[in-house]
Amino acid sequence: MKILLAPLDPVHDAGVKLIKRKLEALGYDCVLLPPDITVEEIGENALKEKAEIIFISRTVGYGVEQIFRRVKQVLIQQGLFDKVRIAIGGMAVTDEMARTLGFEAGFGQNTRIEEIHAFIENNPDLAISVTSPVKTKPQFPSPHENTLLNSDLKNYLDTIVESILQWSLQKVTPGTRRARITERQLQDVKGSVDQYTAMPFTREYLTQCDPSVVDFFQKGDYPPSVRQITNEEIRKLKNKITIAKVQFKPLFLQHQRQTPLIFCQYGTGCPMMDALHIKVCESWGADGVLHFDPAWGARTEGLMDGFLTNSEDGTPITYANLSLIKSALDEATLWSVRSHRGLNTPEITVLAGFLGADLTKINIPYGSLAGGTDPARLTVDGVEAIRIAARYKMPFDIPTNEELAGVPPHKAFASMLIMAWLGIKLKAQPILKPLICHGPYIMVQGYMDQNYVDYNYAKIQALRSLCDFPIWPGEPIGFMTHTEEKVQSATTTAFHVALCASLGLDAVTVASTDEAFSQGPITSSARISSLKAIQESFRSLGNGSISPSPQAHIWQDQIIDGILNTLKKVSESPSFVEALYQGILGSKEDGVYPGRAGRNTVEDVTD
Amino acid sequence: MADARNAVLDAVDIESFIFCSDKKEAKDIIQKLTQQMGFSKYVIVSLEFNGPGAHFRVRAYLNKPGENYSWLES
Repeated sequence: MKILLAPLDPVHDAGVKLIKRKLEALGYDCVLLPPDITVEEIGENALKEKAEIIFISRTVGYGVEQIFRRVKQVLIQQGLFDKVRIAIGGMAVTDEMARTLGFEAGFGQNTRIEEIHAFIENNPDLAISVTSPVKTKPQFPSPHENTLLNSDLKNYLDTIVESILQWSLQKVTPGTRRARITERQLQDVKGSVDQYTAMPFTREYLTQCDPSVVDFFQKGDYPPSVRQITNEEIRKLKNKITIAKVQFKPLFLQHQRQTPLIFCQYGTGCPMMDALHIKVCESWGADGVLHFDPAWGARTEGLMDGFLTNSEDGTPITYANLSLIKSALDEATLWSVRSHRGLNTPEITVLAGFLGADLTKINIPYGSLAGGTDPARLTVDGVEAIRIAARYKMPFDIPTNEELAGVPPHKAFASMLIMAWLGIKLKAQPILKPLICHGPYIMVQGYMDQNYVDYNYAKIQALRSLCDFPIWPGEPIGFMTHTEEKVQSATTTAFHVALCASLGLDAVTVASTDEAFSQGPITSSARISSLKAIQESFRSLGNGSISPSPQAHIWQDQIIDGILNTLKKVSESPSFVEALYQGILGSKEDGVYPGRAGRNTVEDVTD
Repeated sequence: MADARNAVLDAVDIESFIFCSDKKEAKDIIQKLTQQMGFSKYVIVSLEFNGPGAHFRVRAYLNKPGENYSWLES
C-alpha cells in the first residue's frame, strides 16, 4: 500500500515527517512531498505514485477550513477525490471538521500513530490501547528478596525481634480484644455492610471502648464535627460514582519506566468527598490511594460505626465508610488503609483486611514516639496487627514520619528495619517507607543547603546497602519543600518523583499543590496540578538518571553507621519497649517522647 | 443547571496579576475583585508582591467536607 504525505505549510512539516517515520516502521511504503507545494501538485503526485491513501497536513490553524475546501475542489477536478482515501490533519483539524468537509478522517493535535494505523487498516481495534485504554492492578510490591545484607544488622535485628515476640507473648489489650470481636462479628455476617451496621454492639465490645464510643452507640452522641450521612446522600453519591466510572479513561503517568507507582493520600473528613477526590486522582493517573483518619481516632478506644462524615481533617474509620470508599475505587487502583499509630491498630487492620484492602500501614516506634500511643500498648497491638495483615495477605508499609518531628533519619530507619524484620518473622510483607523530604534534622544540619538530591540519595542507598525490601517513599515526598504557590509546589513534587524514578523505587506518595496551604481542605484541582507535573517529570526523565555529588556517598556511610549503632543499643537494652521509653529510637532532645494513650492497658494473661 | 457553581466539587481558585503598590493594596483589590465576581468568602492561598504589582491566587470554597454538597443535587 502506497501512502502519500503532503504538508500544506511553507515550513511546518515536522508532523508529516514524524508520521512517515512511524508508518515506515510499521512497514508502509510512504512518499513525502516537500513543503511549499501547490494543491494541484499534491493530486499530480498522487496520480504519479499511484497512492491509495493521501494524508494532507496543515499545521497552522488560520483559515484551515477554507484551505481544505479548496483542496477538495482541486482533487475533485483531478478525479481523485472519490477514488483515493484522503485524510487531513493539523493543529486545528478535528475529525468532525474533516468529515463535514467530505474527507474520510481528520487527525488533530495529540493524534497517536495507533489511530492513524487503525484508519489505514480500517480496523479500530488497532487503536484500542489509545481509544479505550485499560489499566490493570499492578503487582505491588514488586518481588524483592526481603533479606538483610549485613551480618551485624542481622544479628541485632534477630535479637531485637526475638525479644519483641517473647515480650508480647500472652499479652492482650483492649485493642487486640476488639479486633477479635470485630473479626468474629464480620465473619458472622459474611462481611455484609448492611448487616454489620445494623448489628447491635455487644456489651463485650463496649466494655473495651472509651466512654465517648459507648455514648455514640448507646445515646447516639456524635463528636462535634461528625454527622451521619443520609441514605439519600449515599444514593446520589453512588449515581455520581457510576457516571464517573462510565466516563473513566485511564491515564498512565509513567513514561518508559513502570515505576514508581504514584499514590495519593486522601482523608478530607468526608467519605463522599474522598470518593470523588479518588475518582479525580484515578482519572489523572494515580495508581493508588491511602486512607487517612482523624488524629482523635487514634487516641480513642473503639471505633464508631455507620456512614459518618467529619467536617475536620481525617475521615473517620468505620466499616461502612471504608466500604463506601472501596465501592468507588477503580479495579486497578491500589488501596491502603493506615492502621499504624493508635489504639485501634489491630481492629482497623481487620476492617481493611475484610474489605480486601491491598495494603496497610503499621509502625510501632512511630506511633509510640510521634503518634501519642504508649510504647508497651502499641507493641502488643502492632504485633497483633502484623499477624492480621499477614493473615489477610496485606503488605504493610512502615512510615518514618517521626523524622518530621526531628528524629534523625538513622534512628527512624533503625525503627523501620526492626518493623520490617518483625514483619518477615511474622510472615508478612513489609515495605520500607523512608521520607524523601527536607525534615527538621536535615534542616538543622544543613544537609540540603546545596540541593535536595544528595541526602535523599544517601538515605535510599544506605537502606539498599543493608537490605533488599520494597521501598515506597512518603508521606508525602518532598515534605517541607512546598510553598503555597501552585507552580512551585507542583514542581518540587515532580522533581522529587524524578529522583525516586531515577533511584528505581517501587512507589511514592505524592502531595497536592495544597501541601503547604493550611487554611482549608485540599482541593481536587490541587491534586490534578501535581499529577500533571509528575507526568511531565516522567516524560522529561524517561529512562535517564539523576547523579548525586560525591557528598552523597559520605552521608550514605554515616547513615549506615548510625543505623547499626542505634540497633546495637536497642539490642543491648532490656527490651524493645524499654528502648522506646529510653529514647534510643527517638528522644525528647530529638523532638519526640513516649505517648500516653493506652498506658497501663496491657494485660498479661500468662496465668 | 440553575447555578453553575453547584457543579463545583470543592472550590474555585482565581489566579491573576494585579497592579498595586504594596501587599496591603493587593489585598484590598483582591477583596473587591472577589466580591465583584460573586465570591463573598475566600482565602488567599498565595500572594507575592514585586515590581509592578502582585501575583496571587485566592480560593472560594463552595463545598467543604461534611457539608450538604450542591453537586449531589446537580
